[in-house]
Amino acid sequence: MNERAASSVRYEEATKRYGDAAEPAVDRLTLEVPAGEICVLVGPSGCGKTTAMRMVNRTVEISDGDVLVGDQSVRDREPAQLRREIGYVIQQIGLFPHRTITENIGAVPQLLGWKKDRIHQRSSELLELIGLDPELGDRYPAQLSGGQQQRVGVARALAADPLVMLMDEPFGAIDPINRERLQNEFLRLQAEIRKTVLFVTHDIDEAIKMGDRIAVMREGGRVEQYATPAELLMAPANEFVEDFVGADRALKRLALMRVRDINLWEAPLAHVGQATGEVRAKLDSPDVEVPFPLLVDDERRPLGWLSERDLAAPTVPQRPDSPLGPVLELDDVMRDALADLLQGEAQYAPVVDHSGRIAGVLSVEIISEFLASPEAKSEETPAVERPHD
Amino acid sequence: MTDPFVLAAAGEVGGDFFKERDVGDLCQAQPDQVFCFDWARENLDRFATPTVQHLQIVIPALLIGFVVAFALALLAHRTRWLQPPLLAATGVLYTIPSIAFFFLLLPITGLGRDTAIIVLAAYTLQIIFRNTMLGLNNVPASVKDAARGMGLTQRQILWKVELPLAIPEIIAGLRVAVVSTIAIATLAVLISAGGLGTQMYGSNLTFPTSIIIAAAIVMLMALAFDVVLLLVQRFTTPWRRAAQG
Repeated sequence: MNERAASSVRYEEATKRYGDAAEPAVDRLTLEVPAGEICVLVGPSGCGKTTAMRMVNRTVEISDGDVLVGDQSVRDREPAQLRREIGYVIQQIGLFPHRTITENIGAVPQLLGWKKDRIHQRSSELLELIGLDPELGDRYPAQLSGGQQQRVGVARALAADPLVMLMDEPFGAIDPINRERLQNEFLRLQAEIRKTVLFVTHDIDEAIKMGDRIAVMREGGRVEQYATPAELLMAPANEFVEDFVGADRALKRLALMRVRDINLWEAPLAHVGQATGEVRAKLDSPDVEVPFPLLVDDERRPLGWLSERDLAAPTVPQRPDSPLGPVLELDDVMRDALADLLQGEAQYAPVVDHSGRIAGVLSVEIISEFLASPEAKSEETPAVERPHD
Repeated sequence: MTDPFVLAAAGEVGGDFFKERDVGDLCQAQPDQVFCFDWARENLDRFATPTVQHLQIVIPALLIGFVVAFALALLAHRTRWLQPPLLAATGVLYTIPSIAFFFLLLPITGLGRDTAIIVLAAYTLQIIFRNTMLGLNNVPASVKDAARGMGLTQRQILWKVELPLAIPEIIAGLRVAVVSTIAIATLAVLISAGGLGTQMYGSNLTFPTSIIIAAAIVMLMALAFDVVLLLVQRFTTPWRRAAQG
């Protein structure tokens, strides 16, 4: 698929006043979203984030200031024409109930006067891209599940290869399990298509997960902090951001880390048939952190933990006494790894690389030490200005 | 003929309804018979012209009623504040008793089919207008928001999104309008507009065969129109069946 290059979006003192309301809904918003990035507008309800997003496709008219898509002011564009170049996904999806899935996806291309064949081809291409069976193309929206409908909503927004995507709480009405799946799918898709996305949510966890950058907003569309997720969690600009990000921001940082980013323990390894004396010697060394030896095969793939009883025999048995429990991978997200440990009621678990070989051991202790350390607040990211300190 | 008003009116305006029904000799043998098959067989052809006349009143009335009500609905859809007054106005028309309505128009439009068509069209306005409004108002806001955000113009939203989605309600309104129009058209006989009423009113009440046949034709006609409308709905809203299946 040949995608058009995405455009940047620039707010220049963009202001929206409604009727005779005392305060503008969005007051002189200035913000730049680089092309190809996901910018999340997050904030409590009524903070003007949706209004700000809607200025881009002029579903909200700008009272003052300007919004530029690429280098062109949206105010110079005819609204309907402009909107056909901007993908639009909303929480309630808004698929046309009377049109088939293929027709829904082809709605904007049809407005743009594409030929039938091309529309059809594009529709099936997109169905595939979002992981839906092309057979579903002839169905009507009511015949699809909520998750499938929202995927179609995303496909429809992508159909005419937009310069920018606007997504207003797109996964807000989906159950948590499917929401997680849709978020992951969209991130995977985005890695491929590299659109400029303005993503509105009130959920800070979703913002951290989806955003390349996050603008934390409060009433009047005032941006309290505009930063990468890591910066936001490590160095909230002020109390408002800190409150909004939540007391568990150290924990949230785990969502941004992978297991490979932390120093793992080294496991005392044991091989089948090895003399148990040798293994015991390893355990006795002073800097050993894992109290039990890990049985691995010839490829250094973990088989299980050896217990005291296993070590009572002269040689290491083929079947270890204790089950292996959870096995983590270096690429696992830390938060998921912690969840696996807790769920497996394990203090620690072997970590393997992508070919399944042992790379180390992750323990609950490592994680809690990390969370308690000043490192958790400052590690590996450039210092961020904290004007309100 | 017990209604003095009808008698008086009939006496004044004349009209063919007052003609004595020709009972003939066929059923003389059984005067108490409710329905005389022999007479029916012999006289069926006398219903042909009234049936055509009936259609000539009903179809233009429905078409005019639909066009006017539909146009009013589109107007009120765009100009919201017109909804209550238009609803009230069409409602008032609907409450005028039909016989009174016919005679109220006589000085203006005179005897005959035109008056009947006007009255019947006026009666359809309320239900068609209200249901079209209802259908348009029932279109989910999210669908309209998405359509607008995708770059459909107001006109495109109306014709490509709102009206197709309002079809079930519009047709529901039409179905009610059709049945009532076909039924009330039997009164057109009172203003010499012909129709199947000619075979009902003024009949010999001791010999109801003619009334029964005319009523049956009226019912069949209503049923046929209803079936046509249902088929139209079926073909224009395939998505609704899909949603249910």
